[in-house]
Amino acid sequence: MSDPSNSLVLLSRVTKIFGLVRAVLDVDLEVCRGDFLAIFGPNGAGKTTLLRMVSGLTQPTSGSIQFESNDDHSGRDRVGYVSHQSFLYNELTGLENLVFYGRLYGIGKARGRAEEMLVKMGLQDARYQRVGTYSRGMKQRLTLARALLHEPDLLLLDEPYTGLDQHGSRIFTEVLKGLKEEGRTVLLITHNLGAGLELCGQIVIQNKGELVFQASRGQVDASDFERLYFQVVEGGRR
Amino acid sequence: MNQVALIWILAEKDLKVEYRSPQAFLNTVFFALLILVIFNFAFDPGSQATREATPGILWVALLFPGIIQLNRSFQAEREEGTLYGLILSPTDRGVLFLGKFIANWAFLVVVDFLVLGAFVIFYNFSFSVQMLWVAWIIILASVGFAAVGTVFAAMLSSIRTREVLLPILLFPIIIPIILAAVNGTQEILILEEAQFLDRWLQLLIAFDVIFVAAGFLLFDYVVAD
Repeated sequence: MSDPSNSLVLLSRVTKIFGLVRAVLDVDLEVCRGDFLAIFGPNGAGKTTLLRMVSGLTQPTSGSIQFESNDDHSGRDRVGYVSHQSFLYNELTGLENLVFYGRLYGIGKARGRAEEMLVKMGLQDARYQRVGTYSRGMKQRLTLARALLHEPDLLLLDEPYTGLDQHGSRIFTEVLKGLKEEGRTVLLITHNLGAGLELCGQIVIQNKGELVFQASRGQVDASDFERLYFQVVEGGRR
Repeated sequence: MNQVALIWILAEKDLKVEYRSPQAFLNTVFFALLILVIFNFAFDPGSQATREATPGILWVALLFPGIIQLNRSFQAEREEGTLYGLILSPTDRGVLFLGKFIANWAFLVVVDFLVLGAFVIFYNFSFSVQMLWVAWIIILASVGFAAVGTVFAAMLSSIRTREVLLPILLFPIIIPIILAAVNGTQEILILEEAQFLDRWLQLLIAFDVIFVAAGFLLFDYVVAD
């Protein structure tokens, strides 16, 4: 995680304040190419705000977010973002949604790429159905396809398991495992400790805006992680 | 991909969404027709006073229902977070504005032409060359209305009271458009000689250019966090 030539995103003393609320506080974090980093934390810890700042949707109050050697955080097209919302149009079909976003991102053969992503996510049979008729699981896979359409350097996943049943969660985990095997750089926020641990190579715990725990997956005992998580969140810094 | 193609892709998407889920279209048309009917009942249709008030009645029926569409255009983008999807794309924010503005404008023009047809029937006018001039005023006035409306609708889209705030903020800004549209229509329909029609049309064109350019330049700030 410390090889400077492999660094993709570097967050330095990033702080975000909304009125009197300090949502994110002095966060230093380095994400390297190929990292699969899971951020755990209780509700209100500032995880989503942190991800929105990395995506460029929200500007930090202070601190800097640098992509590779760029000083300016302007690489909107380098990030794929899966949030609580799908960013999909319910009145358009799955294929139309992906072709639309593909064109916005300037992908030359947008339709071909969209078809390819639909096959990859197992949605080829539903490509002419309107997204409003999709199940939550199908919609979430299409959301992931939308986020990956332009081959982003960094994939941001904010609670992707929300609203998925066990079957949907399992399919989604398999898709994420595939992304990990491809060597994609992923920043995942989840309350699902089991799924997060299964996938990630790096672990971060955020609480009250601060990053209170950072370790590589190998340093953490999976069977003892829940106890460790509560100890860190309830006990303060580590 | 060139910017003109991107503008069309954005506008086409909005029109397709509206076509497949036409609640806003139907609500807007019915509200406009309702206004025409209410005024028709409220005033004596045969009197000269009513005749002189018809340009004002027409523009009330055209502008107030348009608010429904403007509100709806960004509310729909907020529901599934698609506005964030647009903002995250590398597309220039000014281009996003133009796409949205063109879709809103096209929508308003279609609704307005339907309302104009009903207006001709309800208020005993005839489908003549005069009405082509009124249609031309509608096209021009809708440009400015849609441009300012698109900017304000985007600005207010995350606010709970947006339905109330949009007309309060929008109408004072477009007073020059209302003034030019009503007076221009009056010259065509009521007055025997159209002395100042050129000036009203020039005023509309000037405001259209200003408002579209302002929307294009300011949209980056409007949708920023």
